Amino acid sequence: MKETILLTKHMRDNPEDSHLIESYEKNNGYETARNTLLSSSPENILEEIKSSNIRGRGGAGFPTGVKWGFLAEDEDRYLVINADESEPGTFKDRILLERDPHQLIEGIIITCFSANIKEAFIYIRGEYAKPARRVQQAVEQAYEKGYLGKNIFGSEIDLDIVVHLGAGAYICGEETALLNSLEGRRGEPRLKPPYFPAVKGLYMKPTLVNNVETISSVPWIIEHGGEEYNKLGVEGSTGTRIFSLSGHVNNPGNYEIEMGSSFGEFVDTLGGGIKNNKKVKAYIPGGASAPWFRGDQLDIKMTIDDVANNNSMLGSGAVVMMDEDTNLVSAAKSIVSFFAHESCGQCTPCREGTTWLEMILDRIASGRGRTSDINLLLDVCDNISPGLSWPPKMTTICPLGPSAVSPITSLMNDFRDEVENLIPTKVLL
Amino acid sequence: MSDKVHLNVNGLDIQSDPKKLLIEACEDSGIHIPRFCWHKRLDPVGMCRMCLVEIETPRGKMLVPSCTTEITDEMVVDTESDVVKKAQEGVLEFLLINHPLDCPICDKAGECPLQDQTMAYGPGESRFVEEKRHFEKPINISEIILLDRERCILCARCTRFSDEISGDPLIEFIQRGNKTEVNTFPNEPFRSYFSGNTVQICPVGALTSTSYRFKARPWDLKSTRSTCNGCTMGCSIELNSSQNKMLRILGVDNDSVNQGWMCDKGRYNFEYLNSEKRLKVPLKSVDNNFEETEIQDIYSELSEIIKDKKNKVKFFLGSNLTNEDYIAFREFSKSISDNKQSFYINDDLLYQGHFGKDNELAKIDDLNSSDAIVVWAEDLKEKLPVLYLRVRQAVKKGVKLIVFGHTNETLSDIADVFYGKETVSENFEIIKDVSKLEEINNYVIDKNVTAIIGKSTPQQSDASVSELFEFLKANANTKILNAYTKGNTYGAFQTLENIKGTKDFVDDISSENTELLFIVGADPVGRSFYSNEITSMLQNLNTVVSLDLFIHETSELSDYVIPISSTLGEKDGTFTNIEFRTSRIDKLVPSPGQTVSDWEFITSLMNFAGLSNNFNSLEDLNNKAFEGIEASSSPVFDNLDKPSNVDGIINIDTPTINTSENNLSKRLFYIGEKLYGDSVTERHSESISLLGSKKFIEVSQNIVDKFKLTSEKCSMVQGELEVTVSYKVNNKLPDDLIYIPINRRELNKFDFSKEITVLPSRVKEALNVN
Repeated sequence: MKETILLTKHMRDNPEDSHLIESYEKNNGYETARNTLLSSSPENILEEIKSSNIRGRGGAGFPTGVKWGFLAEDEDRYLVINADESEPGTFKDRILLERDPHQLIEGIIITCFSANIKEAFIYIRGEYAKPARRVQQAVEQAYEKGYLGKNIFGSEIDLDIVVHLGAGAYICGEETALLNSLEGRRGEPRLKPPYFPAVKGLYMKPTLVNNVETISSVPWIIEHGGEEYNKLGVEGSTGTRIFSLSGHVNNPGNYEIEMGSSFGEFVDTLGGGIKNNKKVKAYIPGGASAPWFRGDQLDIKMTIDDVANNNSMLGSGAVVMMDEDTNLVSAAKSIVSFFAHESCGQCTPCREGTTWLEMILDRIASGRGRTSDINLLLDVCDNISPGLSWPPKMTTICPLGPSAVSPITSLMNDFRDEVENLIPTKVLL
Repeated sequence: MSDKVHLNVNGLDIQSDPKKLLIEACEDSGIHIPRFCWHKRLDPVGMCRMCLVEIETPRGKMLVPSCTTEITDEMVVDTESDVVKKAQEGVLEFLLINHPLDCPICDKAGECPLQDQTMAYGPGESRFVEEKRHFEKPINISEIILLDRERCILCARCTRFSDEISGDPLIEFIQRGNKTEVNTFPNEPFRSYFSGNTVQICPVGALTSTSYRFKARPWDLKSTRSTCNGCTMGCSIELNSSQNKMLRILGVDNDSVNQGWMCDKGRYNFEYLNSEKRLKVPLKSVDNNFEETEIQDIYSELSEIIKDKKNKVKFFLGSNLTNEDYIAFREFSKSISDNKQSFYINDDLLYQGHFGKDNELAKIDDLNSSDAIVVWAEDLKEKLPVLYLRVRQAVKKGVKLIVFGHTNETLSDIADVFYGKETVSENFEIIKDVSKLEEINNYVIDKNVTAIIGKSTPQQSDASVSELFEFLKANANTKILNAYTKGNTYGAFQTLENIKGTKDFVDDISSENTELLFIVGADPVGRSFYSNEITSMLQNLNTVVSLDLFIHETSELSDYVIPISSTLGEKDGTFTNIEFRTSRIDKLVPSPGQTVSDWEFITSLMNFAGLSNNFNSLEDLNNKAFEGIEASSSPVFDNLDKPSNVDGIINIDTPTINTSENNLSKRLFYIGEKLYGDSVTERHSESISLLGSKKFIEVSQNIVDKFKLTSEKCSMVQGELEVTVSYKVNNKLPDDLIYIPINRRELNKFDFSKEITVLPSRVKEALNVN
């Protein structure tokens, strides 16, 4: 299989200076935005997005056109770009921010034109210092050129962009926690209902929250038409997607491909196969929150629906391969530790439960487990995510708690032996 | 009503008003859902997850927190399903894994929601074998509040209270996840006037108060409902005692008044009841020394005076009397005097006010339903703290707030319009044409307005106060809350005639017209604008009788001191608040030694002097207090004790206030009072005794420059008297005005009728007492 290069074209063609406005414009950058603002209408843009059938690239996979359509009417509405890319295994937004920030800004201009928004925010995770510098520089360049600010491209349209850096909390990738953080509050998810961003978002105003990759796709869709985009990929998962491949593979990295091929094919061709020709024991199809697949499930197709039908999620497009030598209890433990560390502490089951899970797994992994720990582990999971089903039910405010449950249920469903083997010999009577 | 919403809960059909939260709708129908973070008076946050219930949705049954879910018609709810029970057990287990097992030494044990709900809904035993989370055991987050973070279950009640209700968010969550804790900001203690409320609503023993810590077990407490007499707000309270000692005061949720809240002074200013220094025997001054004496002797000596000098008996009454006490003095006065006696009330700021047919009086609840609130009075946060909370609540609901005058700067933060020194002169007059103020036109004209209006300082003329109200009355549908702030002032209004203030007292009383003066529960020497005049007056009078709890600056100038019981918890009676709402004052603890109630003293004295009296009991006085009011709405004991009337009964009255105008000229200083001071009761309440001890004045930057103040302190000089105080720069003050909180030690020594000079501190390293 081969990559299909849309979003990463400019950065590949101009590796030295793709982040500068001069380079971007040389390659017809901002032409689409200019044409849009001068000769298109908001309704046309929304139609193109709808007909492209693009679904959100942040993790939930919600149809973007539908989301835009939900935005409540108000004098003040905001666009917030979620660039708080922190899901373990995910590093796709990083290259879009660092190496093609103008593509994102052009996407923002078109999106705001379509949704009649005059102020946009780019919320970048605190650790992304270089991407943030690049985006900031790009925004400044765009202002200088008159592509942002008042009467952009000589039209009647005004638009301001604010670049904001997070302070190192994973939970701020959750859209409502992000909005809290942006407002200067503690990064804690809001209650849904009533605080759906499309109705009561930033400063309690209707707010569109979109992922970097989603909005970076907008210029291409508008330039070539939604129909063209819809032809790429497969039904339900149209267009290209940047997958972040990592783990025990020979060629880890970001790959822009059309959705629809199998994970096995992806790993074997673009990924160069598993290191040392080993077998896959398990793999994560869509970021640390996603339940795992077994090594014998490599023929599952890389589409949002295929993965969902197999009780996991394509999520943020982070594919992590674990070979036959992997200690899966340790793997699960490190994921659970991550979520325990990143719990915001707001609701009881997540704050107390994730840390408790971490403690139990730590005990088992270090050979101090008790026979009762297996049931305990599952029951604590059940108290965070009742029924241990997929998609998860939850006793928590947001899905972070259940995310810590995913690797444990995967482990217990498919690799229970590995856990039991770590528990010291049972007393025989 | 047909616009009810119908729900099915656990198979039962219930109905409720629309827009209600599920947890409330269930509660109203007698279905209890356990909870920790949800509190009726706070915004829901859905954090503890204890109130999860199952509702039916198109996608099957779903667990939702009932404290954040609004009811909808036809909603089907299960609060007892296996899934719900499992979730509740799970949440309790999670809450308990890190909760210390120190219930045996925890003040909350016995009235602890965590204990109670663990018993009712908990898992029974713990599966947690790891080390519990540890924090340093209680840390002092203020002088009166301690925080034990190990016990905290992070329900956010205290942080929400501070943010939403009192508006001083000095405690917050810090850290995250499993390390989350509540704490204060570095070097910024939890110095809120309302911090005690967080102790009351804490669902575990994480927040405790110094005054109650380790003093009693809840099951040993005796309790009664009463009314706080600290200011004219009249908050509903519950008194708690153990072994006949008052130990704790809690706020009671009276929807029309305090809604469960109290200020810290009302809550913690009770320890003086148990003070060693309380007067327990009658005293008589012999050669400038007090000697213990028999009360009978006092009765007979006073009877002699009364017999001859009937018209020369005068009364100076404090604001901590019950209505029944006031009535006893009225009846006493009537029985000895032919003419209509005046009663002098211990209030520097007493003035005519706005009552009567021409003025519509407001209720506290009117604040919420007005379009705008206009305030020009003493600082509400300092003087009527819970009314300040009610104003905040109204503002949060969208009522516009217009504040006049530099004296009300604590409201300036939330005011839509604050007319400061540009509009109000240093002489407390509005110097602009009110009708031309643009915002007044926008928010006030032809709207429903509640005016909170009162005198801010003695030097303010009555006319300047009235001017604003008359404008509002003429241009809007205005109701007024007359902002008298002291204790049972409205009780005096309702029971006494010919009421005068401290100013008139100083003007009227002389040794020619006064043979015998009763000073009841008042310390004007210690705390009045007219302190100096009163001191010399008392020294000149023949016989002065103080009825008081302690020897203080006023009672020590008396010839007789009668030990009396405190209105707080030591006697029965009634209290009338700022909206003429009368409610019960209840006795809980015995009063010490030979103390008597004011009315008991007067009754005995009358009997001794052979004066005819037509009352023999508290009930008689109580009935007399409300003569002429229709029986069904009269706040007599029988009516107030009916369950429907526990929150009090309103009977608007027109008081007869006969104060004369004050003609003080403009001067450099004006006086006011802070919430905490050094009154005799505060000095003897250990927990709060230091909170009002710091001497300071507030000045504008102009004053700092003008008097070349350099160090943190300055000296106030008047003749021989020199007091070193610290000063705070308050640029809301007009350029040539200095604010003196008069309820702070030593500041009352100055003669405020003469000028005082300010100098840079001459003390090099000024000693900071306290």
